[in-house]
Amino acid sequence: MTDFILALLPLYGAIALFGILVVSSAGVPGPASLLLLVVGSLVAQGEMTLWQVLVAGISGAVIGDQIGFFAGRIGGRVLLRRLTKIVGHAGIKHAEAFTMRWGGAAIFFSRWLVNPLGPWINLSSGITDYPWIRFILWDVLGEVFWVVLFTKLGAIFSDRVQSLTDFLGHLTWFIVGAIAVIILGWKLFGHFRPFAAA
Amino acid sequence: MKASGTVRQHIRRTLQALQWHHWLVAAALVLALGFTGLHAYRAVSAAIYWNYNRDEPIQGWMSVGFVAHSYHVPPRILYQAIGLPPKPDKRPLRIIAKAQNRPVDAVKASLQNAIVHARYPPSDKGEKR
Repeated sequence: MTDFILALLPLYGAIALFGILVVSSAGVPGPASLLLLVVGSLVAQGEMTLWQVLVAGISGAVIGDQIGFFAGRIGGRVLLRRLTKIVGHAGIKHAEAFTMRWGGAAIFFSRWLVNPLGPWINLSSGITDYPWIRFILWDVLGEVFWVVLFTKLGAIFSDRVQSLTDFLGHLTWFIVGAIAVIILGWKLFGHFRPFAAA
Repeated sequence: MKASGTVRQHIRRTLQALQWHHWLVAAALVLALGFTGLHAYRAVSAAIYWNYNRDEPIQGWMSVGFVAHSYHVPPRILYQAIGLPPKPDKRPLRIIAKAQNRPVDAVKASLQNAIVHARYPPSDKGEKR
């Protein structure tokens, strides 16, 4: 699958990049980061033009994110009604308050630092009614950072993109795991704290 | 002695107060720790591989030009090695292999062979002996 997707790049250039990023940002799993590193390498080799790559990459990723956000906002209403029955109104209000407080940071960092979480953050932002104007601001900021950073890395290490992808892939999952450990550890610590204070 | 008894009592009291969802969080924490450790190990391994192996594995999505760039060899040598005219060809190796009616691994092997010869050409002295 990865072979097939990446093979489209040298053949169709920026149009392929745009299409693949729309689909992968909307939530279909794909080698998006490797794709940008390869694009950076192709720019360094003179096979692709930088401005076309930036325009196609950023616009493709941002459009894909909007698909996820509005799928959450429209389709999520049904899901929300069912969830309300399970976790109650207080639970939903708590989730919405959490998104309002941390949403901006979650959107920004899930664009580039922990990008496997990106499609989930898009959906949850839509479901919890996060203001669209704030969503798109953080989204564009994060996607610009992601596309520029990975294209640049691909250009610098243009002869070793596959090895770089392996390293960055594991690093990303390590960060995702570390965040989960911190959140879960904090939750558990919250339970032990009253006993420690006693 | 008295202090250790208090600690033991404190731990027992804490564990007794744990509800099923706390155990669920604890189990998730153990899983998350394992996941994080595994990827930390893999990231370090990848970094070590990166440091010691400068060669990029050849993949089916790469074009001949991309392979030449990755291995720092002239593209014409690689085109010649797989029987193509020495002019830019953007097709990925898997499509070239299909067009030549042979497995992509055979194309990769031909390229690897040409790369080795381009990097370490057999010396005249050695051949004469």
